[in-house]
Amino acid sequence: MNYSRLAWLCLAWLLAACTISTLQAQSVASTVVTLDRAEAVQAGWDSSMPPATGWVPIKLMDYWNTRWPHHDGVVWYRVHWNQASTDAPIGLLLDYVCMADAVYVNGSVVYRDPQLVEPLSRSWVAPQFFLIDKPLLHIGDNTLLVRVSGLAAYQPGLGKVQIGSNSAVQALYRSGMRWRYDVRLFNFAISAVLGVLFGMLWLLRRRDTVYGWYALSTLFGAGYAWNYVTASTWPFASTDAWQAFVVALLVTSTCSFTVFLLRFCERRWPRTEAAMGLASLAAFAFALLDPHRMGPWRNVWVLPTILFYYATIATFLWHAARSRRIEVRVLGISMLLPILLSFHDLALYLELIHGNNYIGALTSPLTLVGMAFAVAWRFSAAMRRAEGFNVELRHKVDIATTQLGDTLAREHALALDNTRIGERLNLVRDLHDGFGGSLLGAIAALENPQRPPEPAHVVSTLKELRDDLRLVIDTTTHEQDSDLAGLLAPLRHRWSQRLDVAGIDSRWRLDGLDGLHLGPARSLDLLRLLQEALTNVLKHSHASRVDVAVGRADTQLSIEVRDDGDGFEPGVAHDGRPSGAGLASLRARATRLGSVLVLDALPGRGVTLRLDVLLQASSR
Amino acid sequence: MESAENGIDLSPTLIVEDHPAMRQRLLQLVVGLTGSDAQITTANSIASAKALLDEDASGVALIDIGLPDGNGIELIAWLHIHRPQVTSVVISAWGHEDTVLAALRAGAIGYLLKERDDVELSLALQSIRRGGAPIDPNIARGILALLQLSAEPVTTGARVAEVAERSEHALSERESEILRLVARGYSNREIAELITLSRFTIEGYTKSIYRKLAVRSRTAAVFEAKALGLLY
Repeated sequence: MNYSRLAWLCLAWLLAACTISTLQAQSVASTVVTLDRAEAVQAGWDSSMPPATGWVPIKLMDYWNTRWPHHDGVVWYRVHWNQASTDAPIGLLLDYVCMADAVYVNGSVVYRDPQLVEPLSRSWVAPQFFLIDKPLLHIGDNTLLVRVSGLAAYQPGLGKVQIGSNSAVQALYRSGMRWRYDVRLFNFAISAVLGVLFGMLWLLRRRDTVYGWYALSTLFGAGYAWNYVTASTWPFASTDAWQAFVVALLVTSTCSFTVFLLRFCERRWPRTEAAMGLASLAAFAFALLDPHRMGPWRNVWVLPTILFYYATIATFLWHAARSRRIEVRVLGISMLLPILLSFHDLALYLELIHGNNYIGALTSPLTLVGMAFAVAWRFSAAMRRAEGFNVELRHKVDIATTQLGDTLAREHALALDNTRIGERLNLVRDLHDGFGGSLLGAIAALENPQRPPEPAHVVSTLKELRDDLRLVIDTTTHEQDSDLAGLLAPLRHRWSQRLDVAGIDSRWRLDGLDGLHLGPARSLDLLRLLQEALTNVLKHSHASRVDVAVGRADTQLSIEVRDDGDGFEPGVAHDGRPSGAGLASLRARATRLGSVLVLDALPGRGVTLRLDVLLQASSR
Repeated sequence: MESAENGIDLSPTLIVEDHPAMRQRLLQLVVGLTGSDAQITTANSIASAKALLDEDASGVALIDIGLPDGNGIELIAWLHIHRPQVTSVVISAWGHEDTVLAALRAGAIGYLLKERDDVELSLALQSIRRGGAPIDPNIARGILALLQLSAEPVTTGARVAEVAERSEHALSERESEILRLVARGYSNREIAELITLSRFTIEGYTKSIYRKLAVRSRTAAVFEAKALGLLY
């Protein structure tokens, strides 16, 4: 944003405003007559007719408090003019009347304010225009009477009277309305809107107090601006009360404006701020509790306030001149021009110069827009920071995600390593449980000097080792991709063939094993148990048939191996029968499966091995 | 399928095995089946095996996997192409099914597992002599998995003749059923009872499955070669 351009725009606007009003005034001057010679007389509040005596000549515009400093009440003003023709109606313009008035032309009333006694109507805010035609308008001498109700404390009096053609005077009236009334109405409206807008912003972002102070200052400013627009003292019952309240609004608006500037410059002056808060409270307290002193003596408040306002702005301008921040400098510029013009208004207020056109109202929208820009700039800068922060945050999140990913990958790799180690340990344990024991047994048997083993026995032991290794290999290879039915298939196939060769008819019944996984250790234990049982059948039973049944019912796995061979007497050592070591091994495996081996054996009636294994809930 | 027509004489037999004890064991097994006047030769490497088999050689070759000058599967593949009269049987140590499957796809019609008892190996050889082939659940499962995988793709080239050729070598209903039963652990006798065929016929089906496996893998190889632009 090029703020010097903004400054030029402001300047151009002001120049244009002044030029237009001057041009309009000049263009109509030729057809409009300004009447500045009049007579005035004091009267009481209830005066209904102009007094016959006591008239004094005066010059308009007139503030009667300079002549009658303590006169609160009515002053009658009388103006004469000579009318050459009544062919066309004439326009009559009362530039300024303070406060309430009634207007008579040639003895007839043409206008009357609603409130001619307290609370007085506030007609001072706007010029008054009347169209006068015959028969009211006479050829020759005509008399204008203006009955003004006013209070000495509030610049009572009558401004210039202008007559002329309807169009010319009405143009003057329009111009006056525009520059005195409309601009202030606009000023009030824009203040109210901006105040509400930034007030909302602050309500939603309490931490950003600069918006809150801006809203407060602008809203109090809007209240003060209402003074230039309202036609009545509502909601107050007297002019004093209204004026006192307006002064309190001015004080508070100035104080909150100062705090806003402090916050805007990111400063915090607690003692000054507390003092301003007290001053504001005091102003309201006086205004509400003692308006009849506060109102007339308002300058006691107004002058220090305005001085303070100037001091505040001067300080800020000094700060802005040194600041490199765009929004601070724009705010500075937006205050510089109005402050220069406000000297004019102040002079007018203090009656150092005569007139009724407070031009500050022209510039205050500019100030408001400048302030709005500065605050909005601050807001958008905060937004940009937030967005930048988002980008930065995303960047950081990305980095963190990458790091986390790396860490997880490392942990995963570590977990994989641990799993591999665990699997290797499982394999070692599997080998150790069956294979290792048998191997040691075979070595011990071969080394026994007392009883050299027969080669056939050694071969038998080695074959048992081989079968066990086969089970370990099959289980390790296929446990992951195969259910119990799949794991049993190679064992069943191999042993069917072996038993078949030995002339033993084997019958298998496998029920409900599809999809059943016992886990590697239990699967291997089960396969080993079956293999040992079948080895016993093959070697010792002399059976002609063996039935193998493995069935699952709910959470129970039942295993049964029954042969129709010789059988034996349980508990009695049988020659050649492995009632000792063989059965012990079977029992140990059953125990490891969490079950108890049930042995049903009688000589001549075969052997039945049975066990029920409880399946854990985790078994799929 | 008439198994008698496909019977394979175990004489002559070439044993390609570098381990002396195993060579001796196999020699005795074959002699036990054929009698001592059978024509049995042994070799301990791929090179010497190739030297022993001239153009019109026939009979059975028992081939070990791990040979000093290469992998036995190479020899099986070579024999399948250059000596089609020779029936290859692979000898596997601990019978990892991938090895056996690779040999079957290279053209072997059977396998012997060294870990098995002599009597079991003898049964396998007898089955081969009758025109059958031994099979285990793990091998059956491997073949099923292989067929499921290769059954999915290859509709892009869309050559009608090839599709017909491939379907000609697809497994029949009966063959698939037998494979599934073997995979579940059923013995040949149980399968024979289930589908009311003789167990020897079952063995014949097994051999037919192996043949189709070899042809399928060759067809697939040719198809892939064509797709790659290596053959026209």
